[in-house]
Amino acid sequence: MNRVIVVVWSCMLITLAGCERHGTYPNRPIVLICPWAAGGGTDRLSHQVAFGLEQQLGVPVNVVNATGGAGVTGHTRGALARPDGYTLTMATVELNMLPHQRMTNISYRDFQPLLMLNADAAALFVRTEAPWANLAELTEAVRNHPGRLKASGTARGGIWHMALAGWLNSLDLGPDDIRWISIGGSAPSLQELLAGGVDVVSCSLPEAQTLLDNQRVRCLGVMSQQRLETYPDVPTFVEQDVDWSMGGWRGIAMPLGAETQVVRTLVDALATMAESPQFIEFMRTAGFNRRIARPAEFERVMAQHHEQFGKLLSNEAFAETSEGRFGPMVFPMAAVSLLVLSMGAIWHGRDKTPRKILNRRIKLTRGGAEMLGIMACVIGFVLVVESAGYLITAAVMSAGLMMMMRVRWYWSLGAGVILAGVTFVVFATVLRVPLPYGWLG
Amino acid sequence: MFDAMITAAEQLADPTIWLVVLISAVYGVFMGAVPGLTATMAVALIVPTTYFLSPLHAIAAIVTLEACAIFAGDIPNALLRIPGTPSSAAYSQDVHTLTQRGKAGLALSTCLGMSVIGGILGALLLMLFAPQLARLAEQFSVIEYFWLYLLGLSCAVIASRGSKASAACGLFIGLLLSTVGLSAVHTQARFTFGQPELGQGINFIPAMIGLFGLSEVLRNVASGNDPSHRATTHPRMTLLRDLFQQVLPAAWRRRLITLRSSLTGALVGMLPGAGADIAAWVSLGISRRKQAAIAHDDDATRLEGAADATTANSSALAAAWVPALVFGIPGDSITAIVIGVLLMKNVKPGPEIFTAQAPLAYSIFWLFLMANLVLIPVGLAAIRLGGFLVRIPHKVLMPAIVLFCTLGAYAVSGSSFDIGVMLAMGLLGFFLDRWSVPLGPVVLGLILGGPLEERFIQSLNTADGHAWGLVARPIATLLALVTVALWLSMAYPHLTPSRERSPKAIDS
Repeated sequence: MNRVIVVVWSCMLITLAGCERHGTYPNRPIVLICPWAAGGGTDRLSHQVAFGLEQQLGVPVNVVNATGGAGVTGHTRGALARPDGYTLTMATVELNMLPHQRMTNISYRDFQPLLMLNADAAALFVRTEAPWANLAELTEAVRNHPGRLKASGTARGGIWHMALAGWLNSLDLGPDDIRWISIGGSAPSLQELLAGGVDVVSCSLPEAQTLLDNQRVRCLGVMSQQRLETYPDVPTFVEQDVDWSMGGWRGIAMPLGAETQVVRTLVDALATMAESPQFIEFMRTAGFNRRIARPAEFERVMAQHHEQFGKLLSNEAFAETSEGRFGPMVFPMAAVSLLVLSMGAIWHGRDKTPRKILNRRIKLTRGGAEMLGIMACVIGFVLVVESAGYLITAAVMSAGLMMMMRVRWYWSLGAGVILAGVTFVVFATVLRVPLPYGWLG
Repeated sequence: MFDAMITAAEQLADPTIWLVVLISAVYGVFMGAVPGLTATMAVALIVPTTYFLSPLHAIAAIVTLEACAIFAGDIPNALLRIPGTPSSAAYSQDVHTLTQRGKAGLALSTCLGMSVIGGILGALLLMLFAPQLARLAEQFSVIEYFWLYLLGLSCAVIASRGSKASAACGLFIGLLLSTVGLSAVHTQARFTFGQPELGQGINFIPAMIGLFGLSEVLRNVASGNDPSHRATTHPRMTLLRDLFQQVLPAAWRRRLITLRSSLTGALVGMLPGAGADIAAWVSLGISRRKQAAIAHDDDATRLEGAADATTANSSALAAAWVPALVFGIPGDSITAIVIGVLLMKNVKPGPEIFTAQAPLAYSIFWLFLMANLVLIPVGLAAIRLGGFLVRIPHKVLMPAIVLFCTLGAYAVSGSSFDIGVMLAMGLLGFFLDRWSVPLGPVVLGLILGGPLEERFIQSLNTADGHAWGLVARPIATLLALVTVALWLSMAYPHLTPSRERSPKAIDS
């Protein structure tokens, strides 16, 4: 009986809200996937783009930080999303590296490029008191004592590591002649440089700006064809007779297969946003090198990087660099053996600690069924929420749970609907959490 | 220096700043109190709006948000045993037990009072010593971090109540869970079973929501009519009286301990990548060492432990700004955003920020003071509102909590996979609870497992694979000695000086 009512209620809600489904693009919030963590450079850029795009399109644009897997998670989710224009991705240069590292099958060919926003060249930094005044002297030191110097800048296999390895490669040096210490991120690597743990840091110029301005570090060269407008004093590698340039890029892309109208709307909005004084000012002060490229040009840049990384990563010597004797399974095995040990200790000391343990007295009686009910509800929520939308699923779930807890059905339904509505307004409208709309369009 | 401080203080007389602080306080308390919404998210959300604000207003908003969110994490922590932020996980069990004994009001006013005191002491410490402290932070390389993380993990075992073996067991479960996903140093997938979602590892926020929140619901449901779980219905809520008659006198009586806790917080918080959660654990660990032999289950020790931890996590906040301001190296994800905002406002971080931009730099610490003062009324109101939570009948509250757990897990990164993580962790938490394994160490293990392994391998790599490299630097040696001493004192409790074993009443 109760269940019938739930179904009737849900149907009513669906029909009620079914009217507003069609309209011109865009008519509901857009999600911008950022594959990197909140607070980093990519995240800052994403929030700025979201802010500018919102003004252009007139609908909310929400940034979601889908982090993890060195960028795999965010890019994969972005590429596999529905190409309806409501899911955009802030793609980064890692998209060109991951397929060669066999981390994912997703490549730049799975994306419809929209607008490239930024390109930053790699640069090499040493401590101010370091003995190498220029690139040639550093090269000399590496040639004389291969494997003695240590460098960092990002995790192993990251863009700045590639930049360094590629430079060594162009000098016919092995990729391990400067040992790479895998430290996740340029900020902790620079900290390590100051603390004396590494000798060289490879990262972009803006990332080291503060330390550079205060003469705590020195820049030996930037891996670009021409000197950067913002750093006219920093020499390029090319000037120092090394033909090597490498850098990262960032740009907005969407899944393949979108309607041309949607693509055009987005490219126009993004281009207007990118030319706005606000955005230019943001890029300047945040230290990002602004490089705007329309879809065709953007695609060409991605293809070029893709090829460059392919060559570099298929290099045999590079594939062999490893982390020495501490393989990936050492730490988990240690954790398991310690876990077993501590369990042994618990077992050994079980009678010696005559403590009253409240939890042990709990009997699994009728509670067992209710526990199963709760778990079933959560699983049901996961399965249904994407298609039915948050409002309906949440209302049904909480009403169902309340009924299970023996609340009268009309109270349950009322409380469920109110709860779902209030949480939806707070989370989706005020806090910009992109809750699925589902059948409610 | 003092002129700059005064100029900085004068700038804050602007009423619009107070308005910004007040609004941010309310927003911060809300974000902190809802598990799954973090202070980092709150700050990231307001970044675009800072475009329209002056640097001072922008910083005021961020500082207040942060200070209030960290306290607000204690509200669901005490009332529902769901830490609102990871920094509250250390003393979750303690404050919740107090709530079950009808002392929610006292527990929460202690959390509020000590957060405010910790925040203020932390800000004062930094105002006086920021540039010097920054020099110390500069000395920390991966090796020192390795020992620091190990120290934090050891503190989690010490700080937990009950058998140390159970706490260690919880910790190792957490460490094991942290190895799921793509290993940062090896760039190799572990225990992912071919699932791309598992590649990102177990996100600790959904895990925390599951371990504490959902497991609590399951425990409640499973216990049926067990009266011990129903004691939460009528908490005493004489907050102001508690605050002035109990919390403040206790803080004064234990003034040296309070100072020690906030110093601990400031020192740990200042190190990039350590932050408020480790600060809370270390402080709780120290305070548990001191109370080691006193009766295990009285309310006073629980309250004191929570007070020390909450003091430390609040005073850690201001400290994280130091490396960010002086070197442009962010201490945590919030200050990373802050650097972005500062650069956007043409404020260049650097050692000379305390001379060239002194008024602005010092106003940050004044703002921390201000934020903590505003936190008192806003926090009291939030506790009152939270008090209604426990009056809601259980059969309505439990489904609502399930919904909030689900929503909170989803909100972190908008993925339904995280809801699955939350569910699995809820079950794990339920069973661990039945076997009386504490859950706090599980969360800390999950948070620190990855960095610990990373730092270990990085340290060995910098030392060419020689183990002595782990103690080759002075600060590292010191940290190593402290850690080993801690382990020894755990293994041989009778070596503790008898002075500390005497049942001296610290708060009776």
